[in-house]
Amino acid sequence: MAERVTVSLTLNGERRTFEVPPGRRLLDLLRDDAGLIGTKEGCGAGECGACTVLLDGSPVTSCLVLAASADGHDVVTVEGLASAGRLHPFQEALVTRGGVQCGFCTPGIAVTGVAILAHREADPSEQARLLSGNLCRCTGYTKVIEALQTVTGMENE
Amino acid sequence: MPVREVLRPGSVAEALEALALHPDALPIAGGTDLMVQLRNGRKNATTLVDLDRLGLAGLQESDEGITIGAGTRMDAIAADPRIRRLYPALAEAAAQIGAWPIQCRATLGGNLANASPAADTAPALIVEGARLVVASTAGTRQVPVEEFFLAPGRSALTPGELIISVRLPSPELGPGLRAVERFVKVGPRREQIISIVSLAGRALVGTDGTLFEFRLALGSVAPTPVRARRTEHLLTGRRPDAELRREAVRVLQDEIAPIDDVRAPAGYRRIACAVLLDRFLEEAARG
Repeated sequence: MAERVTVSLTLNGERRTFEVPPGRRLLDLLRDDAGLIGTKEGCGAGECGACTVLLDGSPVTSCLVLAASADGHDVVTVEGLASAGRLHPFQEALVTRGGVQCGFCTPGIAVTGVAILAHREADPSEQARLLSGNLCRCTGYTKVIEALQTVTGMENE
Repeated sequence: MPVREVLRPGSVAEALEALALHPDALPIAGGTDLMVQLRNGRKNATTLVDLDRLGLAGLQESDEGITIGAGTRMDAIAADPRIRRLYPALAEAAAQIGAWPIQCRATLGGNLANASPAADTAPALIVEGARLVVASTAGTRQVPVEEFFLAPGRSALTPGELIISVRLPSPELGPGLRAVERFVKVGPRREQIISIVSLAGRALVGTDGTLFEFRLALGSVAPTPVRARRTEHLLTGRRPDAELRREAVRVLQDEIAPIDDVRAPAGYRRIACAVLLDRFLEEAARG
C-alpha cells in the first residue's frame, strides 16, 4: 500500500503537511499523524460529537471528514483553544462550574461551545440546540449550559 | 475495499473528466453519509473524487427564482434570509438534518445524491417544484427533484454525472392568497435523528381557507421520497374542514407504502403521517 495523499492544512495556527493513506479520516490524521489525542473517537459515525473540531471556524465531526478534503483549510482542535498558556474562558468555566465529569465528551463540548460563543449566541435554549450534537451521559448538560452562560455574562459586562 | 486514490479536481470541468475516466469512482462532498457508508461496507470505492475545490457553494438570485449550488452546506441554507422567506420548508429541513456539526458539513447535493428515502431536503424541494441541474462530460440536463429518486440509494444520476445546482422557481402568489409552507419530521428526539416520517406541505390559501393550490410530499414512507398526488387532488380547491381532513388522512394512508424497520413499524408511520397532515391542514386553514 504505497498510495499516499498530501494534506497541507493550518492546524492550531501552524502550517502542517502530512502524507496519509487516501481514505484517512481527519480524526485519524489528528490523532495518529499529528499526535493530537485530545480529540476523541466515540461512535465513529457522526452521532456523538466527541470528535468535534473547528474546520474554517465551524464545528464538524472529524470522523466524517475525509482528511484529503481538509487540504488547504484551517483546523482547530481542543489543543488549539487555549492561547498564551491560558485556557479559553469557556474551558475555565467548564472547570469552575463542574461541567466535566468522566471527560470523554469534553473536548468536543469545549470545541462546540467555543464555536457557539464565537457566533455570539447568548440564548441558553439556542445554545442547547447548537450543542445537541454533542452527547454527554454524565452532566445532564445543565452545568455545561451554565458554563456557557457564565462566559456570555462576562462578555456582556 | 480500501480507498486507494483521492482525486482533487480544481473545477467542475476537471471533476467531470475525472468521473468520466473513473466510472466506479464516488464523488465526495461533505462526507456525512458517504464516510459512514464506506466504513460499514454499504458503499465501496477505490477512487474518490473530492468536490471541495469546485466552488459549488452559494446562492444566485434571478427573475426565475433562486439557484443553490450543490456544495452549499445545510447551515448556510438554514440561515439564508431569502430561503427562509421564500422557501421556508427547505430552510426548516436544513435546520433539522443531524445537529449543528453535521449541518456545517453536509451539502444539499450530497443529501440528494445519497438518495435516502429519509433525505430531509427532498420533500421540501418536491413541494417547492425544484429541479436539479446535473452535468457530465456529455452535457447538462435538468431533472425535477420529484423524478430524481428511483429506489433506496438509487437516483436518476447516470455514471459520470454530478449534481451542479438546485433551481427553485419563484413562488407564485395570486391576489388575496397567502402561502403556507412547512417541513416537519418525527423522531425519538428533535436533533440528530433520521426521520421516521417527514412531511412537507405547500398551500396557497384563500381568505375563506380554500386551498387553491396544494402540494404534499413525504419522506420515509416509501422506497423514495414521494409526492402524495391523490391527497393533493382531493384537497385542491376545497376548504379542509374536520370531515375533509379525516378523508384526506385516509387517502394519504392508502397512497403511501411504509415498511417496518429499526426506526419504527409501518403502522406507527401511518399514524404519524396522519397527525402531521392534519396539523398542516389545520394550520393552513386557520390562517
